[in-house]
Amino acid sequence: MTGRRVAITGLGLVSPYGGNLADFHARLLAGESAIRLLRTDDLPRPLNMPFAACPGFDAEASLGRPLAGVLDRFAQLGLAAAFAAWDDAGLPRTPQANERERWGVAWGTALGGTMAYEKGYRDLWQNGRERLSPLSVVLGMNNAANAQISIQLRLGGVSMSHTVACASSSIAIGEAFRRVRSGEAPIMLAGGSDTPQAYAVARAWEALRVLASADEASAPASCRPFALDRGGLVLGEGGAALVLEDWEHAVARGAFIHGELVGYGTTCDHSHLVRPAVAGQVRALNATLADAGLTPADIDYVNAHGTATPEGDPVEIDALRTVFGDHAKRLAVSATKSLHGHLLGAAGALEAIVTVLALRDGAIAPTAHLKELDPACAGVDHVTEARRNQSLRAALTSSFAFGGSNAVLAFRTVADQP
Amino acid sequence: MDSLTLIREFLDSRLGVAPDKVVPDATLAALGVDSLMMLELVFEFEDRFGITLTKDLKSPKTVGDMVALMERLHSEKS
Repeated sequence: MTGRRVAITGLGLVSPYGGNLADFHARLLAGESAIRLLRTDDLPRPLNMPFAACPGFDAEASLGRPLAGVLDRFAQLGLAAAFAAWDDAGLPRTPQANERERWGVAWGTALGGTMAYEKGYRDLWQNGRERLSPLSVVLGMNNAANAQISIQLRLGGVSMSHTVACASSSIAIGEAFRRVRSGEAPIMLAGGSDTPQAYAVARAWEALRVLASADEASAPASCRPFALDRGGLVLGEGGAALVLEDWEHAVARGAFIHGELVGYGTTCDHSHLVRPAVAGQVRALNATLADAGLTPADIDYVNAHGTATPEGDPVEIDALRTVFGDHAKRLAVSATKSLHGHLLGAAGALEAIVTVLALRDGAIAPTAHLKELDPACAGVDHVTEARRNQSLRAALTSSFAFGGSNAVLAFRTVADQP
Repeated sequence: MDSLTLIREFLDSRLGVAPDKVVPDATLAALGVDSLMMLELVFEFEDRFGITLTKDLKSPKTVGDMVALMERLHSEKS
């Protein structure tokens, strides 16, 4: 695929560790888990599950009271991540002139403002209220995050959200990438945010019997992708954002370029809502490589979807073995959800950041807690301890969603700043 | 609670506006009350005083207008 080159000039997130981007990466490399036991006081039965929360996130301190007050938590996390990415890109919050009429936002969220509606149900059905605040509509709407990002940063181009379960923000990034590559938008802010601790959402996941269970002591190591003793996935909340910029635009303003986004492929298994299929993932991986003009031998790292379920893990590795053939044995693979949990609609964006940081810093964060490999997941080079001082040329990150939607992104290292 | 106190408390808790800025001459827009926030403020007032305002109500421009409106509706009710 030809077109304009796409630079990644901004990375931002709300870290579950509470610190900045560098701190986030350092903790991942140290194998430090952000997962803790989440206990609530919900009726009729409290939540009691391992979870990756952002306890240090103070929306009022981060966004100011007036703005925080008109946003649901998913949009607060999203806007904070977007601001962080924007600041990182060296772009002013307020534009100088009318230059942003074609700049846009592509956001990913699986759940949107579910917590706002849930509060409404509680007020009506549990707390005996008979009416709801008029702000409930704008708090709960699924496009609240992208809309507020566009307003705050005065972005006059497309402003949209993608709801594709666990692939939401990968698809948002991919669709944004296409708009920058085609020349339609000089800058797109892309990312995602989600809050799966919404009570009915968390209980629904529990009912599906795919969540890991844990007590206080075992929670940090409860997400064990590819391991023989894995116990299921661990949900997490958060927000993550990337600034995608026309390469020449970035160079002209002297921006630091973290990495280059070079390919995107998306497919649907078209077979089953929750059972992933090797064929659909293989098509997504191959489509991404073709889009990027890369061959399997060019890829030095894959940040896997790796949710730690017996249904998902072996299928994903099978697909990698199929696409990478002889190279698979040397292909470094890690599933960092073992450390930061599964952020649903924000997962793809967070893992895209992890992948870009791996290339930029030559340092691969590990799949934590992987002691004994499930034989069904063998055949790739599983990274179980951080690897530093690596010379990495290109990398992929995969998101394979319920519904059978697959999305893969390809990144290339920027050897020397232009 | 009197109407001015209610408005001060609302603007402090929602918008972080210092109560001493909420004086009768101040325009609501200058204090950060847009149309959405006006709906919230009216909602809060209805809730506290147990009344329902008609939908075609003309929006007050200043804190003083708002106070006068609240007092009038409150007295009509009682």
